[in-house]
Amino acid sequence: MRADPFSEVDANRLSQSKYSVFRSVESLASMTIADRSGDGNLVSIRDLVFSRDERKIFDGIDLDIRRGKVTAIMGPSGTGKTTLLKLIGGQLRPDRGTVVFDGKVVHEQGLRDLYALRRKMGMLFQTGALLTDIDVFENVAFPLREHTRLPESMIRTLVLMKLQAVGLRGARHLMPAQLSGGMARRVALARAIALDPMMIMYDEPFTGQDPISLGVLVKLIRDLNHSLGLTSVLVSHDVHETLSIADYIYMISEGKIVGQGTPEELDRSASQFVAQFVHGLADGPVPFHYPSDADYAGDLMGPVKRRPGARH
Amino acid sequence: MLQGWGIWALGGVQRIGRAHIFLAHVLLGLPGLLLRLRLLVREMYVVGVLSMLLIAISGLFVGMVLALQGHNVLSEFDAEQSLGVLVAASLVRELGPVVTALLFSGRAGSALTAEIGLMKATEQLSGMEMMAVDPIKRVVAPRFFAGLLSMPLLAALFSMVGVLGGYFVGVGLLGVDEGAFWAQMQAKIDFEEDIINGIIKSLVFGLIVTWIAVFEGYDAVPTAEGVSRATTRSVVYSAFAVLGSDFVLTALMLRGE
Repeated sequence: MRADPFSEVDANRLSQSKYSVFRSVESLASMTIADRSGDGNLVSIRDLVFSRDERKIFDGIDLDIRRGKVTAIMGPSGTGKTTLLKLIGGQLRPDRGTVVFDGKVVHEQGLRDLYALRRKMGMLFQTGALLTDIDVFENVAFPLREHTRLPESMIRTLVLMKLQAVGLRGARHLMPAQLSGGMARRVALARAIALDPMMIMYDEPFTGQDPISLGVLVKLIRDLNHSLGLTSVLVSHDVHETLSIADYIYMISEGKIVGQGTPEELDRSASQFVAQFVHGLADGPVPFHYPSDADYAGDLMGPVKRRPGARH
Repeated sequence: MLQGWGIWALGGVQRIGRAHIFLAHVLLGLPGLLLRLRLLVREMYVVGVLSMLLIAISGLFVGMVLALQGHNVLSEFDAEQSLGVLVAASLVRELGPVVTALLFSGRAGSALTAEIGLMKATEQLSGMEMMAVDPIKRVVAPRFFAGLLSMPLLAALFSMVGVLGGYFVGVGLLGVDEGAFWAQMQAKIDFEEDIINGIIKSLVFGLIVTWIAVFEGYDAVPTAEGVSRATTRSVVYSAFAVLGSDFVLTALMLRGE
């Protein structure tokens, strides 16, 4: 193990400090704070099984998220990528297996401990999930006001710093309804980093973005990860953007991990599924046709059944 | 079919159970709310103050109609002088709490359900949970207690304006003696039996209407259709619950007299 110039207590104190000003300066050092603290994995998932409405979403998956890295979870729509984030955040309970975050089993925590754990995580929802009745400034200030008793002047400084980091200091008086989708996600990102979490989970951050917003988000995720010493978990099916910023990638399909590795390793992967996904092929292990009981000819020539709700 | 009924009944029981656990969770939010009274005041403005105009206008018309109808019946027995008692007793005991609760559920209850349901649909509640903020304590509790406190005040406003409406019609239009109108009202309306019982009713209705409204919003299916159904359910269930509990409360109160 590397010689550790900081004790773990110091690192934790810094990582949870409300005074992110000092945190940001500290993180300029070549080695991130997250790198310095003990175990290399911030999140460890073992033998995770989770079902919804009798459909098995995860069937015994093992997955690690390394501290200080950008880890991407990829897979076709409906494979439960967002569900995985909710399991890590303790919003859902697994049927079997464990999700360990920073040394603690998430679903074994009481409500108070779970909330204490969540203060170490930030989550960027696909829609931004901004509070619609307050403006941009108040949205970013929201977690600070809820969890700290900082004076108003300090809150103002912190909010403006966070907004400056995402390039939206000038938009602080706008209401969420006045923001474009990309801007809303950037405000949500500023809010997610307001309490200086150890980890940020991004739920489909690139979906439906124009090329400029896409570029901004890619840059922000990468830069914030480095400058704030964060650990990032990125759930996405946008291959190009994800491969460009992820350090390690897991591919999930039908409840199992079907491929994993660095972007280069996945690019060279012999797995048919990985090749289909990375290169966007229409047919392959994920078939073009949804499974049907009857063959095509038999279906066309079959008897006409009256369908409930159909107009005749 | 029997199986279908069974599933329906079990689902209903489960939902009632969830609603009670939810209520307990909301009530636990009271101590935190007392430390942040600004949240409560803000919601009381939205839920209570903005309902005042509707309640006042409705109360005025109900009082005026009561005076017209009451005068019509009382004059047959040469008892027009008792119009003040009739109007005030009807309003304070029954119509004030009940009609206010029904109007309140249509105006504020439906808005609460839709607002909380939409917050759920747009992941705002989920976002709060991930920011380690309990949405039941932060979003639901202030709205619930604001509704609970606003209802008796609004019912009092309804009754007060209703009495004034009755006065305008009875004394102003129909020529009932002004002194008798007020004096009989003062003599016959009992503080405990009428006013306190009215306040108890309006508190119970406030609890029922606001509880149903916030629970329906929180339990809504997070889609446009889900929120719309929840809003409809909120108003319909509130109406049933208010009218049903009014019967029970009235029976209990009359028994105590």
